[in-house]
Amino acid sequence: MIKVDNVSMKFNLGIEKNFSLKLFFINLFKSKKNKPKKETFWALKDVSFEVKKGEVIGFVGSNGAGKSTMLKVIAGVMKPTIGKVTVNGNICPMIELGAGFDPELTARENIYLNGAVLGYSKEFLKSKFNEIVDFSELRDFLDVPVRNFSSGMTARLAFSIATIVDPEILIVDEILSVGDIAFQQKSEEKMKSMINGGTTVLFVSHSLEQIKKICTKAVWLDHGTVKMIGNTEEVCNAYYESQMK
Amino acid sequence: MFLKNIMANLKKYSFLLQQLISRDFKVKYKRSVLGVLWSLLYPILTMAVMAIVFSNVFKMSTPGVNYLAYLLSGLVMFNYFSEASNLAMSSVVANFSLINKIYIPKYIFPLSKCLFVGINFLLTLIPLYIVLFATGTGVNIYHLMLPYAFICLFMFTLGMGFILSAVSVFLRDMFYIYGIIIMLWTYLTPIMYDIKLISVELQTLFKLNPMYHYINFAREIILYHRIPQPFTWMVCLGSSLAVLLIGVVVFRKTQDKFIYYV
Repeated sequence: MIKVDNVSMKFNLGIEKNFSLKLFFINLFKSKKNKPKKETFWALKDVSFEVKKGEVIGFVGSNGAGKSTMLKVIAGVMKPTIGKVTVNGNICPMIELGAGFDPELTARENIYLNGAVLGYSKEFLKSKFNEIVDFSELRDFLDVPVRNFSSGMTARLAFSIATIVDPEILIVDEILSVGDIAFQQKSEEKMKSMINGGTTVLFVSHSLEQIKKICTKAVWLDHGTVKMIGNTEEVCNAYYESQMK
Repeated sequence: MFLKNIMANLKKYSFLLQQLISRDFKVKYKRSVLGVLWSLLYPILTMAVMAIVFSNVFKMSTPGVNYLAYLLSGLVMFNYFSEASNLAMSSVVANFSLINKIYIPKYIFPLSKCLFVGINFLLTLIPLYIVLFATGTGVNIYHLMLPYAFICLFMFTLGMGFILSAVSVFLRDMFYIYGIIIMLWTYLTPIMYDIKLISVELQTLFKLNPMYHYINFAREIILYHRIPQPFTWMVCLGSSLAVLLIGVVVFRKTQDKFIYYV
Protein backbone atom coordinates (compact mmCIF):
# COMPACT_ATOMS: atom_id res chain seq x y z
CA MET A 1 0.00 0.00 0.00
CA ILE A 2 2.70 2.45 1.04
CA LYS A 3 6.33 1.84 0.29
CA VAL A 4 9.04 4.10 1.61
CA ASP A 5 12.37 3.43 -0.08
CA ASN A 6 15.60 4.84 1.36
CA VAL A 7 14.05 8.23 1.87
CA SER A 8 16.27 11.10 2.99
CA MET A 9 15.17 14.64 3.48
CA LYS A 10 17.51 17.60 3.61
CA PHE A 11 16.72 21.07 4.93
CA ASN A 12 18.88 24.15 4.65
CA LEU A 13 18.76 25.81 8.01
CA GLY A 14 20.45 29.00 6.88
CA ILE A 15 17.94 29.70 4.17
CA GLU A 16 15.97 32.38 5.92
CA LYS A 17 18.98 34.52 6.62
CA ASN A 18 20.39 34.19 3.13
CA PHE A 19 17.36 35.39 1.32
CA SER A 20 16.86 39.04 1.67
CA LEU A 21 17.91 41.26 -1.15
CA LYS A 22 20.40 43.12 0.99
CA LEU A 23 22.25 39.99 2.02
CA PHE A 24 22.01 38.66 -1.48
CA PHE A 25 23.95 41.66 -2.74
CA ILE A 26 26.37 41.60 0.14
CA ASN A 27 27.05 37.96 -0.59
CA LEU A 28 27.64 38.76 -4.23
CA PHE A 29 30.61 40.88 -3.30
CA LYS A 30 31.96 38.64 -0.64
CA SER A 31 34.70 36.28 -1.63
CA LYS A 32 33.78 32.65 -1.62
CA LYS A 33 35.82 31.93 1.45
CA ASN A 34 33.93 34.33 3.66
CA LYS A 35 30.55 33.04 2.66
CA PRO A 36 28.80 31.41 5.55
CA LYS A 37 28.49 27.73 4.97
CA LYS A 38 24.94 26.69 4.44
CA GLU A 39 24.00 24.59 7.39
CA THR A 40 22.18 21.52 6.28
CA PHE A 41 20.04 19.34 8.40
CA TRP A 42 18.89 15.88 7.53
CA ALA A 43 15.40 15.51 8.92
CA LEU A 44 15.22 11.97 7.56
CA LYS A 45 18.14 9.71 6.86
CA ASP A 46 17.71 6.63 4.75
CA VAL A 47 14.30 5.63 6.05
CA SER A 48 12.69 2.54 4.59
CA PHE A 49 9.58 0.68 5.58
CA GLU A 50 6.46 -0.76 4.13
CA VAL A 51 2.84 -0.48 5.18
CA LYS A 52 0.30 -3.07 4.15
CA LYS A 53 -3.37 -2.47 3.63
CA GLY A 54 -5.35 -2.23 6.84
CA GLU A 55 -2.34 -1.77 9.09
CA VAL A 56 -2.37 0.91 11.74
CA ILE A 57 1.12 2.31 12.16
CA GLY A 58 2.11 4.46 15.08
CA PHE A 59 5.11 6.76 14.90
CA VAL A 60 6.93 7.54 18.10
CA GLY A 61 10.02 9.62 18.76
CA SER A 62 11.10 12.78 20.51
CA ASN A 63 10.47 16.28 19.14
CA GLY A 64 12.31 16.88 15.91
CA ALA A 65 12.83 13.20 15.23
CA GLY A 66 11.22 13.55 11.80
CA LYS A 67 7.76 12.16 12.45
CA SER A 68 5.81 14.99 10.91
CA THR A 69 8.28 15.29 8.05
CA MET A 70 7.77 11.59 7.35
CA LEU A 71 4.01 12.06 7.18
CA LYS A 72 4.37 15.10 4.92
CA VAL A 73 6.56 13.16 2.54
CA ILE A 74 4.01 10.37 2.40
CA ALA A 75 1.16 12.84 1.93
CA GLY A 76 3.00 14.29 -1.07
CA VAL A 77 3.42 17.72 0.49
CA MET A 78 7.19 17.43 0.26
CA LYS A 79 9.30 15.59 -2.22
CA PRO A 80 12.11 13.56 -0.67
CA THR A 81 15.63 14.75 -1.44
CA ILE A 82 16.73 11.18 -2.05
CA GLY A 83 14.66 8.03 -2.31
CA LYS A 84 11.15 7.25 -3.33
CA VAL A 85 7.72 6.93 -1.80
CA THR A 86 5.04 4.92 -3.54
CA VAL A 87 1.48 5.21 -2.37
CA ASN A 88 -1.48 3.27 -3.71
CA GLY A 89 -4.81 4.69 -2.69
CA ASN A 90 -6.32 8.02 -1.81
CA ILE A 91 -4.96 9.80 1.21
CA CYS A 92 -6.91 11.79 3.74
CA PRO A 93 -4.41 13.94 5.59
CA MET A 94 -5.58 15.12 8.96
CA ILE A 95 -2.44 17.10 9.60
CA GLU A 96 -3.52 20.12 11.60
CA LEU A 97 -7.20 20.37 11.02
CA GLY A 98 -8.90 23.37 9.58
CA ALA A 99 -5.97 24.64 7.57
CA GLY A 100 -8.34 25.22 4.70
CA PHE A 101 -10.79 27.37 6.61
CA ASP A 102 -11.37 30.99 5.80
CA PRO A 103 -12.32 32.84 8.98
CA GLU A 104 -14.53 35.31 7.11
CA LEU A 105 -16.78 32.65 5.67
CA THR A 106 -19.64 30.94 7.46
CA ALA A 107 -19.49 27.34 8.59
CA ARG A 108 -21.72 26.35 5.68
CA GLU A 109 -19.40 27.98 3.14
CA ASN A 110 -16.34 26.58 4.85
CA ILE A 111 -17.65 23.04 4.62
CA TYR A 112 -17.62 23.39 0.84
CA LEU A 113 -14.31 25.23 0.73
CA ASN A 114 -12.47 22.87 3.03
CA GLY A 115 -14.08 19.87 1.35
CA ALA A 116 -12.79 21.11 -1.99
CA VAL A 117 -9.34 21.59 -0.50
CA LEU A 118 -9.40 17.98 0.66
CA GLY A 119 -10.30 16.93 -2.86
CA TYR A 120 -13.98 16.01 -2.46
CA SER A 121 -16.36 16.48 -5.34
CA LYS A 122 -19.34 18.82 -5.30
CA GLU A 123 -21.92 16.04 -5.52
CA PHE A 124 -20.24 14.15 -2.72
CA LEU A 125 -20.24 17.17 -0.43
CA LYS A 126 -23.86 17.93 -1.20
CA SER A 127 -24.94 14.40 -0.36
CA LYS A 128 -22.88 14.30 2.83
CA PHE A 129 -23.59 17.84 3.99
CA ASN A 130 -26.16 16.89 6.62
CA GLU A 131 -24.01 14.09 7.91
CA ILE A 132 -21.12 16.50 8.44
CA VAL A 133 -23.31 19.01 10.21
CA ASP A 134 -24.89 16.37 12.43
CA PHE A 135 -21.57 14.91 13.42
CA SER A 136 -20.13 18.28 14.32
CA GLU A 137 -23.31 19.20 16.27
CA LEU A 138 -23.03 22.73 14.96
CA ARG A 139 -26.34 23.04 13.14
CA ASP A 140 -27.30 26.19 15.06
CA PHE A 141 -24.10 27.90 13.98
CA LEU A 142 -24.17 27.09 10.28
CA ASP A 143 -24.46 30.68 9.17
CA VAL A 144 -21.99 32.14 11.63
CA PRO A 145 -18.56 33.14 10.31
CA VAL A 146 -15.89 30.77 11.52
CA ARG A 147 -13.89 33.65 12.99
CA ASN A 148 -16.53 33.79 15.73
CA PHE A 149 -16.11 30.10 16.56
CA SER A 150 -14.26 28.87 19.59
CA SER A 151 -11.19 26.78 18.86
CA GLY A 152 -13.04 23.67 19.96
CA MET A 153 -15.91 24.35 17.60
CA THR A 154 -13.52 24.96 14.70
CA ALA A 155 -11.74 21.71 15.42
CA ARG A 156 -15.02 19.82 15.58
CA LEU A 157 -16.11 21.15 12.24
CA ALA A 158 -12.74 20.36 10.71
CA PHE A 159 -12.73 16.84 12.09
CA SER A 160 -16.24 16.20 10.80
CA ILE A 161 -15.30 17.33 7.30
CA ALA A 162 -12.03 15.41 7.21
CA THR A 163 -13.51 12.11 8.33
CA ILE A 164 -16.63 12.10 6.17
CA VAL A 165 -14.85 10.12 3.47
CA ASP A 166 -13.74 6.55 3.80
CA PRO A 167 -10.18 7.12 2.70
CA GLU A 168 -7.90 4.23 1.95
CA ILE A 169 -5.11 5.89 3.88
CA LEU A 170 -5.62 8.16 6.84
CA ILE A 171 -2.82 10.33 8.18
CA VAL A 172 -3.33 11.55 11.71
CA ASP A 173 -0.98 13.93 13.45
CA GLU A 174 -2.00 14.41 17.08
CA ILE A 175 -5.63 15.22 16.68
CA LEU A 176 -7.53 12.95 18.98
CA SER A 177 -7.58 15.66 21.60
CA VAL A 178 -10.20 17.62 19.72
CA GLY A 179 -13.10 19.36 21.42
CA ASP A 180 -14.68 18.48 24.75
CA ILE A 181 -14.72 15.06 26.38
CA ALA A 182 -17.91 13.96 24.69
CA PHE A 183 -16.60 14.91 21.28
CA GLN A 184 -13.23 13.32 22.00
CA GLN A 185 -14.95 10.04 22.63
CA LYS A 186 -17.06 10.44 19.54
CA SER A 187 -14.02 11.15 17.39
CA GLU A 188 -12.14 8.22 18.84
CA GLU A 189 -15.06 5.95 18.01
CA LYS A 190 -15.16 7.34 14.51
CA MET A 191 -11.45 6.59 14.14
CA LYS A 192 -11.98 3.07 15.37
CA SER A 193 -14.81 2.44 12.96
CA MET A 194 -12.61 3.68 10.14
CA ILE A 195 -9.83 1.35 11.23
CA ASN A 196 -12.22 -1.56 11.46
CA GLY A 197 -13.46 -0.69 7.99
CA GLY A 198 -10.00 -1.54 6.66
CA THR A 199 -8.48 1.93 6.40
CA THR A 200 -4.72 2.09 6.58
CA VAL A 201 -3.75 4.57 9.26
CA LEU A 202 -0.51 6.43 9.90
CA PHE A 203 -0.63 7.89 13.34
CA VAL A 204 1.69 10.25 15.15
CA SER A 205 1.24 10.84 18.84
CA HIS A 206 3.20 11.51 21.96
CA SER A 207 0.68 9.53 23.94
CA LEU A 208 2.03 5.98 24.08
CA GLU A 209 -1.28 4.95 25.63
CA GLN A 210 -3.14 5.93 22.50
CA ILE A 211 -0.61 4.25 20.25
CA LYS A 212 -0.75 1.04 22.19
CA LYS A 213 -4.52 1.15 22.11
CA ILE A 214 -5.05 1.49 18.39
CA CYS A 215 -1.88 0.63 16.50
CA THR A 216 -0.92 -2.76 15.12
CA LYS A 217 2.67 -1.78 14.42
CA ALA A 218 4.98 0.97 15.54
CA VAL A 219 7.95 2.84 14.10
CA TRP A 220 10.40 4.59 16.36
CA LEU A 221 12.17 7.47 14.69
CA ASP A 222 15.26 8.95 16.25
CA HIS A 223 17.09 11.88 14.70
CA GLY A 224 15.75 11.01 11.31
CA THR A 225 16.59 7.33 11.30
CA VAL A 226 14.46 4.31 12.05
CA LYS A 227 15.61 3.04 15.41
CA MET A 228 13.14 0.26 15.73
CA ILE A 229 10.18 -1.11 13.87
CA GLY A 230 7.74 -3.87 14.73
CA ASN A 231 5.42 -4.92 17.50
CA THR A 232 3.68 -1.92 19.09
CA GLU A 233 4.18 -3.03 22.67
CA GLU A 234 7.89 -3.73 22.27
CA VAL A 235 8.68 -0.54 20.37
CA CYS A 236 6.73 1.63 22.79
CA ASN A 237 8.39 0.06 25.80
CA ALA A 238 11.87 0.40 24.33
CA TYR A 239 11.18 4.02 23.44
CA TYR A 240 9.79 4.73 26.90
CA GLU A 241 12.85 3.25 28.57
CA SER A 242 15.24 5.25 26.43
CA GLN A 243 13.41 8.42 27.34
CA MET A 244 13.45 7.71 31.05
CA LYS A 245 17.20 7.27 31.24
CA MET B 1 -0.07 14.36 -23.96
CA PHE B 2 1.14 17.27 -21.87
CA LEU B 3 -1.99 19.23 -22.70
CA LYS B 4 -4.18 16.24 -21.96
CA ASN B 5 -2.59 15.95 -18.54
CA ILE B 6 -3.30 19.58 -17.81
CA MET B 7 -6.93 19.23 -18.84
CA ALA B 8 -7.43 16.15 -16.67
CA ASN B 9 -5.81 17.94 -13.77
CA LEU B 10 -7.92 21.04 -14.27
CA LYS B 11 -11.06 18.94 -14.36
CA LYS B 12 -10.10 17.21 -11.15
CA TYR B 13 -9.50 20.48 -9.35
CA SER B 14 -12.19 22.56 -11.03
CA PHE B 15 -14.40 22.37 -7.96
CA LEU B 16 -11.58 23.63 -5.76
CA LEU B 17 -10.90 26.40 -8.27
CA GLN B 18 -14.54 27.37 -8.24
CA GLN B 19 -14.60 27.37 -4.44
CA LEU B 20 -11.48 29.51 -4.19
CA ILE B 21 -12.92 32.05 -6.61
CA SER B 22 -16.27 32.22 -4.83
CA ARG B 23 -14.41 32.55 -1.54
CA ASP B 24 -12.58 35.58 -2.89
CA PHE B 25 -15.83 37.14 -3.99
CA LYS B 26 -17.56 36.57 -0.69
CA VAL B 27 -14.64 37.85 1.35
CA LYS B 28 -14.19 40.89 -0.87
CA TYR B 29 -17.73 42.15 -0.65
CA LYS B 30 -19.03 40.68 2.57
CA ARG B 31 -18.55 43.61 4.85
CA SER B 32 -19.08 46.49 2.45
CA VAL B 33 -22.46 48.18 2.18
CA LEU B 34 -22.45 48.60 -1.58
CA GLY B 35 -20.98 45.15 -2.17
CA VAL B 36 -20.54 44.16 -5.77
CA LEU B 37 -21.59 47.63 -6.91
CA TRP B 38 -18.05 48.68 -6.08
CA SER B 39 -16.80 46.75 -9.07
CA LEU B 40 -18.83 49.14 -11.23
CA LEU B 41 -18.26 52.31 -9.25
CA TYR B 42 -14.54 51.95 -8.73
CA PRO B 43 -13.40 52.21 -12.37
CA ILE B 44 -15.86 55.06 -12.98
CA LEU B 45 -14.53 57.00 -10.03
CA THR B 46 -10.89 56.35 -10.93
CA MET B 47 -11.66 57.49 -14.43
CA ALA B 48 -13.34 60.63 -13.12
CA VAL B 49 -10.36 61.53 -10.96
CA MET B 50 -7.90 60.91 -13.77
CA ALA B 51 -10.03 62.77 -16.29
CA ILE B 52 -10.17 65.80 -14.04
CA VAL B 53 -6.44 65.73 -13.44
CA PHE B 54 -5.27 65.00 -16.94
CA SER B 55 -7.74 66.86 -19.12
CA ASN B 56 -8.07 69.96 -16.93
CA VAL B 57 -4.73 70.30 -15.21
CA PHE B 58 -2.43 68.90 -17.91
CA LYS B 59 -4.73 69.82 -20.80
CA MET B 60 -4.44 66.31 -22.19
CA SER B 61 -6.61 65.49 -25.16
CA THR B 62 -6.90 62.83 -27.81
CA PRO B 63 -7.76 64.30 -31.21
CA GLY B 64 -10.65 62.65 -32.96
CA VAL B 65 -11.85 60.50 -30.08
CA ASN B 66 -13.48 61.16 -26.76
CA TYR B 67 -10.96 61.44 -23.97
CA LEU B 68 -13.14 59.72 -21.38
CA ALA B 69 -13.65 56.70 -23.61
CA TYR B 70 -9.95 56.69 -24.41
CA LEU B 71 -9.01 56.81 -20.76
CA LEU B 72 -11.46 54.20 -19.50
CA SER B 73 -10.75 51.65 -22.24
CA GLY B 74 -7.07 51.68 -21.29
CA LEU B 75 -7.76 51.87 -17.61
CA VAL B 76 -10.00 48.81 -17.25
CA MET B 77 -7.49 46.64 -19.07
CA PHE B 78 -4.48 47.89 -17.18
CA ASN B 79 -6.32 47.68 -13.87
CA TYR B 80 -7.05 44.06 -14.59
CA PHE B 81 -3.39 43.38 -15.19
CA SER B 82 -2.13 45.27 -12.18
CA GLU B 83 -4.67 43.86 -9.73
CA ALA B 84 -4.53 40.28 -10.97
CA SER B 85 -0.74 40.13 -11.13
CA ASN B 86 -0.47 41.63 -7.67
CA LEU B 87 -2.93 39.18 -6.12
CA ALA B 88 -1.39 36.26 -7.99
CA MET B 89 2.05 37.25 -6.73
CA SER B 90 1.05 36.96 -3.09
CA SER B 91 -1.27 33.99 -3.58
CA VAL B 92 1.32 31.28 -3.06
CA VAL B 93 2.89 32.88 -0.02
CA ALA B 94 -0.53 33.63 1.46
CA ASN B 95 -1.56 30.00 1.18
CA PHE B 96 1.55 28.53 2.72
CA SER B 97 -0.39 27.12 5.64
CA LEU B 98 -2.31 24.99 3.15
CA ILE B 99 0.59 24.07 0.91
CA ASN B 100 2.48 22.97 3.97
CA LYS B 101 -0.17 20.47 5.00
CA ILE B 102 -2.05 19.10 2.06
CA TYR B 103 -1.04 18.28 -1.47
CA ILE B 104 -2.74 20.74 -3.79
CA PRO B 105 -1.32 21.65 -7.18
CA LYS B 106 0.21 25.02 -6.45
CA TYR B 107 -0.58 26.62 -9.78
CA ILE B 108 -4.19 26.71 -8.67
CA PHE B 109 -3.56 29.74 -6.46
CA PRO B 110 -2.28 32.21 -9.08
CA LEU B 111 -4.78 30.79 -11.56
CA SER B 112 -7.72 31.33 -9.22
CA LYS B 113 -6.65 34.93 -8.60
CA CYS B 114 -6.35 35.70 -12.30
CA LEU B 115 -9.80 34.21 -12.92
CA PHE B 116 -11.33 36.00 -9.94
CA VAL B 117 -10.07 39.39 -11.09
CA GLY B 118 -11.11 38.37 -14.60
CA ILE B 119 -14.74 38.05 -13.54
CA ASN B 120 -14.42 41.43 -11.88
CA PHE B 121 -12.96 42.75 -15.11
CA LEU B 122 -16.03 41.61 -17.03
CA LEU B 123 -18.13 43.60 -14.58
CA THR B 124 -16.07 46.71 -15.22
CA LEU B 125 -16.99 46.42 -18.89
CA ILE B 126 -20.47 47.60 -17.91
CA PRO B 127 -19.33 51.11 -16.92
CA LEU B 128 -17.09 51.11 -19.99
CA TYR B 129 -20.05 50.52 -22.29
CA ILE B 130 -22.12 53.08 -20.41
CA VAL B 131 -19.39 55.62 -21.07
CA LEU B 132 -19.14 54.54 -24.71
CA PHE B 133 -22.82 55.27 -25.22
CA ALA B 134 -22.88 58.39 -23.06
CA THR B 135 -20.00 59.95 -24.95
CA GLY B 136 -21.47 59.10 -28.33
CA THR B 137 -18.60 56.78 -29.21
CA GLY B 138 -21.04 53.96 -29.84
CA VAL B 139 -20.37 50.33 -30.69
CA ASN B 140 -19.78 48.36 -33.88
CA ILE B 141 -19.71 44.80 -35.10
CA TYR B 142 -15.94 44.57 -34.52
CA HIS B 143 -16.57 44.50 -30.78
CA LEU B 144 -17.01 40.75 -31.26
CA MET B 145 -13.23 40.61 -31.74
CA LEU B 146 -12.51 42.10 -28.33
CA PRO B 147 -12.44 38.75 -26.49
CA TYR B 148 -9.27 38.00 -28.47
CA ALA B 149 -7.50 40.91 -26.75
CA PHE B 150 -8.96 39.91 -23.40
CA ILE B 151 -7.76 36.33 -23.74
CA CYS B 152 -4.28 37.54 -24.67
CA LEU B 153 -4.34 39.90 -21.69
CA PHE B 154 -5.40 37.02 -19.45
CA MET B 155 -2.65 34.70 -20.67
CA PHE B 156 -0.05 37.43 -20.29
CA THR B 157 -1.24 38.23 -16.76
CA LEU B 158 -1.34 34.56 -15.80
CA GLY B 159 2.21 34.11 -17.05
CA MET B 160 3.35 37.13 -15.07
CA GLY B 161 1.44 35.79 -12.06
CA PHE B 162 3.31 32.49 -12.28
CA ILE B 163 6.68 34.21 -12.50
CA LEU B 164 5.95 36.70 -9.73
CA SER B 165 4.45 34.19 -7.31
CA ALA B 166 7.40 31.84 -7.76
CA VAL B 167 10.00 34.58 -7.39
CA SER B 168 8.32 36.14 -4.36
CA VAL B 169 8.53 32.84 -2.49
CA PHE B 170 12.31 33.03 -2.62
CA LEU B 171 12.60 36.79 -2.51
CA ARG B 172 10.03 38.51 -0.33
CA ASP B 173 11.43 41.87 -1.35
CA MET B 174 9.56 41.28 -4.58
CA PHE B 175 6.36 42.61 -3.04
CA TYR B 176 7.94 46.03 -2.63
CA ILE B 177 9.91 45.93 -5.84
CA TYR B 178 6.85 45.03 -7.86
CA GLY B 179 4.88 47.86 -6.29
CA ILE B 180 7.39 50.26 -7.79
CA ILE B 181 7.55 48.39 -11.08
CA ILE B 182 3.80 48.49 -11.53
CA MET B 183 3.74 52.22 -10.82
CA LEU B 184 6.41 52.79 -13.45
CA TRP B 185 4.56 50.45 -15.80
CA THR B 186 1.35 52.44 -15.40
CA TYR B 187 3.04 55.62 -16.57
CA LEU B 188 5.02 53.96 -19.34
CA THR B 189 1.88 52.48 -20.84
CA PRO B 190 -0.11 54.99 -22.88
CA ILE B 191 -3.27 54.88 -20.79
CA MET B 192 -3.92 58.52 -20.08
CA TYR B 193 -1.93 59.95 -22.95
CA ASP B 194 -1.63 59.22 -26.64
CA ILE B 195 1.52 57.42 -27.72
CA LYS B 196 1.89 59.98 -30.54
CA LEU B 197 2.71 62.62 -27.92
CA ILE B 198 6.15 61.15 -27.38
CA SER B 199 9.10 61.22 -29.74
CA VAL B 200 9.32 58.65 -32.50
CA GLU B 201 12.47 57.00 -31.12
CA LEU B 202 10.85 56.56 -27.73
CA GLN B 203 7.70 55.21 -29.34
CA THR B 204 9.61 52.19 -30.61
CA LEU B 205 10.78 51.57 -27.08
CA PHE B 206 7.27 51.97 -25.66
CA LYS B 207 5.98 49.44 -28.13
CA LEU B 208 8.10 46.72 -26.57
CA ASN B 209 5.56 46.75 -23.78
CA PRO B 210 3.00 44.00 -24.43
CA MET B 211 0.37 45.86 -22.43
CA TYR B 212 0.44 48.63 -25.04
CA HIS B 213 -0.55 46.18 -27.75
CA TYR B 214 -3.47 44.60 -25.87
CA ILE B 215 -4.84 48.04 -25.08
CA ASN B 216 -4.12 49.26 -28.59
CA PHE B 217 -5.98 46.29 -30.05
CA ALA B 218 -9.05 47.13 -27.99
CA ARG B 219 -8.82 50.85 -28.76
CA GLU B 220 -8.59 50.31 -32.50
CA ILE B 221 -11.97 48.63 -32.29
CA ILE B 222 -13.64 50.68 -29.58
CA LEU B 223 -12.49 54.17 -30.51
CA TYR B 224 -11.52 54.06 -34.16
CA HIS B 225 -14.10 51.48 -35.30
CA ARG B 226 -11.66 49.50 -37.39
CA ILE B 227 -10.13 46.05 -37.43
CA PRO B 228 -6.66 45.99 -35.83
CA GLN B 229 -3.67 45.47 -38.11
CA PRO B 230 -2.55 41.86 -38.65
CA PHE B 231 0.70 42.84 -36.95
CA THR B 232 -1.19 43.78 -33.79
CA TRP B 233 -3.02 40.45 -33.83
CA MET B 234 0.29 38.61 -34.02
CA VAL B 235 2.10 40.66 -31.40
CA CYS B 236 -0.76 40.17 -28.94
CA LEU B 237 -0.85 36.42 -29.33
CA GLY B 238 2.91 36.00 -29.55
CA SER B 239 3.81 38.05 -26.50
CA SER B 240 1.10 36.54 -24.31
CA LEU B 241 1.95 32.97 -25.28
CA ALA B 242 5.64 33.60 -24.73
CA VAL B 243 5.15 35.07 -21.27
CA LEU B 244 2.69 32.34 -20.31
CA LEU B 245 5.17 29.70 -21.42
CA ILE B 246 8.02 31.29 -19.46
CA GLY B 247 5.74 31.53 -16.43
CA VAL B 248 4.74 27.89 -16.62
CA VAL B 249 8.35 26.76 -16.98
CA VAL B 250 9.60 28.93 -14.09
CA PHE B 251 6.74 27.82 -11.86
CA ARG B 252 7.14 24.13 -12.62
CA LYS B 253 10.88 24.23 -12.11
CA THR B 254 10.67 25.91 -8.73
CA GLN B 255 7.43 24.68 -7.17
CA ASP B 256 8.96 21.71 -5.36
CA LYS B 257 11.30 24.03 -3.51
CA PHE B 258 8.54 26.37 -2.27
CA ILE B 259 8.03 24.32 0.82
CA TYR B 260 11.54 25.02 2.16
CA TYR B 261 11.02 28.76 2.09
CA VAL B 262 7.94 28.92 4.27
